[in-house]
Amino acid sequence: MPGNLVQLASRHGSPGSPTVVELLSAAVRERGVLTDDDIRAAAATTGLPEATVHGVATFYDDLRAPRGRRHVRVCTGTACFAATGGAHEHELQAGLGVAPGERAADGSVSLAETVCLGFCHSAPAVRDGDVIDAGPGVVERVLADCAQDAGEPAARSLLPEPALTAAGDWSALPAVLARLDPEQFLEQVADAGLCGRGGAWFPAAQKWRFARAAPAQQRYIVANGDEGDPGSYIDKHLMERSPALVLEGMALAGYAVGAGEGVVLVRSEYPGSRPALEAAIEAARAAGLLGEDILGSGFSFDVRVVDGAGSYVVGEETALLACVHGLRGTVSARPPFPAERGLYGLPTVVHNIETLANVPVIAARGAAAYRDLSPLSRYGGSKLVCFNERFVRPGVVEVPFGVTVRELCEGVAGGLVDGRAIKAVQIGGPLGGILPASLLGTPFDGAPLAAAGCMVGHGSILAFDDRTDMRAVARHLLAFGADESCGTCFPCRIGLRRAHEEFASPRAVDRTRLEALLETLEVASLCAHGSGMPAPIRSLLEHFPGELGLA
Amino acid sequence: MRVTVDGSAVVVEPGASVLEAARAAGAAVPTLCFDERMAPFGACRVCLVGVHGPDGADTVVASCTTPCREGMVVDTHDPGARRVARAVVELVLSELPAAPARHTELAAVVRDLGVDGSRWSGAVHAERRDTRHPYLAFQHELCISCGRCVRACDEIQGAFALTAVGRGFDANVAAGIDAGFRDSACVSCGACADTCPTDAITELSLLAIAGATEDDSASSP
Repeated sequence: MPGNLVQLASRHGSPGSPTVVELLSAAVRERGVLTDDDIRAAAATTGLPEATVHGVATFYDDLRAPRGRRHVRVCTGTACFAATGGAHEHELQAGLGVAPGERAADGSVSLAETVCLGFCHSAPAVRDGDVIDAGPGVVERVLADCAQDAGEPAARSLLPEPALTAAGDWSALPAVLARLDPEQFLEQVADAGLCGRGGAWFPAAQKWRFARAAPAQQRYIVANGDEGDPGSYIDKHLMERSPALVLEGMALAGYAVGAGEGVVLVRSEYPGSRPALEAAIEAARAAGLLGEDILGSGFSFDVRVVDGAGSYVVGEETALLACVHGLRGTVSARPPFPAERGLYGLPTVVHNIETLANVPVIAARGAAAYRDLSPLSRYGGSKLVCFNERFVRPGVVEVPFGVTVRELCEGVAGGLVDGRAIKAVQIGGPLGGILPASLLGTPFDGAPLAAAGCMVGHGSILAFDDRTDMRAVARHLLAFGADESCGTCFPCRIGLRRAHEEFASPRAVDRTRLEALLETLEVASLCAHGSGMPAPIRSLLEHFPGELGLA
Repeated sequence: MRVTVDGSAVVVEPGASVLEAARAAGAAVPTLCFDERMAPFGACRVCLVGVHGPDGADTVVASCTTPCREGMVVDTHDPGARRVARAVVELVLSELPAAPARHTELAAVVRDLGVDGSRWSGAVHAERRDTRHPYLAFQHELCISCGRCVRACDEIQGAFALTAVGRGFDANVAAGIDAGFRDSACVSCGACADTCPTDAITELSLLAIAGATEDDSASSP
């Protein structure tokens, strides 16, 4: 991370004061477009250089698109693409008379693309002001100016005793504070084998040990609520329906590593998440479960929420911390790792929201019971998965690892609507491989999915039905990849643009050149965005070469 | 700390990077975003080398941001690392409207790696020049987002007059609120022009000299 800017941000920003990103977001919400005066004002308030603030203003989606009095955001995520092939975007653009990224001359209306609103269960989705509408008829309703809030299916669990789909009750923290010292609790989490649910699967306790061992007066727990994977709405569910579980996990992690403060970075595409978290924070403070000297234990811990402003790569941990600092959400080379030098340059444990939600489960049930939640797998614990609108019964479901993808798709989610056949499923987000229907017997588990060129990832299961044009899928995914590249490393910055151009042009795709590009992205990229985007393209090359227009 | 580079043993200070070890051993590792006056950045990925770790695992790493570990074996000629580094440089050539001028660091890296044109073509950066400052000029179309100018301004001069702007392929650099050097916190020190590997920021006088003497370099680096 740019060390000098982090120091400046740390020196001037008191905890809880708005970041540059938040100040600029507020200005654009109020006046529709950012002016040089807005940038100067944000620089003066935060003590950051004007050039730096200008750089921030040109980075995030929310700050780049001008807003009319009515601001419509159309979801261009993969579930919406799988539902309409992109037709909803064209219909909305034609009906509103403005192109994405533009505002009508009279300032009445503006249209922006957004990825993704997390209503993949009812795609396509459109956000009209603060109303998110989704499903059949959404475009007609938005054009008739009568958008209505879409509902969300209730979460289910396949476990005999639901763990991650049960609302948090703060019962684990008092027991841990009373019975275990921080090292003992850390060892319990290590024994449980908790691994990061954001997709990288890094052992949580190892991060905790690093951060705990780093000499510092203050440490931080940062919850990554930037669930940017198109097709995923797992963290959205947790933040909005079980915020107490997430907060309790943060407090327990804070106890183990010696952190006194937690920050949740929430993506702006989820307008319901921040209010839900803040209500739960207030309730926990009132009950003495957050704040000074929790339950007389001597352990103090509090949590605040910071807004994102539209960037997929901010889900990467160094970019996430840059965003919490209010800076451009670009990736930095590691080391130093955040556990050593993170938020404000201090030791920081960054975890995905779902990872944190697992911590109270381990504390309440013990390491052995936690490991046994997935009897068919070497992985411990359970996993939240979510299905897209193509399925008969979409929604968030808690599953054990090791059941087959077919059982999940056909049994749990009921197969596809209108009796259509599954052509392929993409698992774990845009960096996940694509499993053809012939391989649906693959267990939903780390090693078998890896052998099939896929991954558990963050757990979204997104079906493409038998009408899907797989070259269009490649084009869709690479357009997303190129748009969201943070621009730091050269392979991703240029290579994803070139990969998209290969599929966007009417010409045949030069397979040799494409494979050289994929290798360059995989080997040389700075973060998982560039190195992961080739995975679904390789799946398509392997399973659907005849549809890709290869030369 | 002892490491081996291309078969030769080298002793380096704890915390030294693989690039430092390689250069101490006399190995030529090309770089684009690296400038020893500033903290390593890890953006260009041209400094890729092969590493055989003490655990037996073979990997390709960016040498500028990878710390040495005791017993590490570094291969700066690793065929995979060289192949990918060349491909990255080809990608860089593909984003520029013209081949780099012969005197630039980019042109030297192209020669060192034996890169002969680019397999890729497509969108290039649109020409946008800014010569409002008395002697510092922007040629934004030549910017390869290596971040050297921004870091020089932050880390050497402490002026914070420059920033990266945009993202992805459209990333570039700006002074102040994109109002040019004169209307920014720029102190005209020239550290940005000094470190720029492509002439995206250059001194106007050098631009004139380069234009007069390197006409033949426009098409063949």
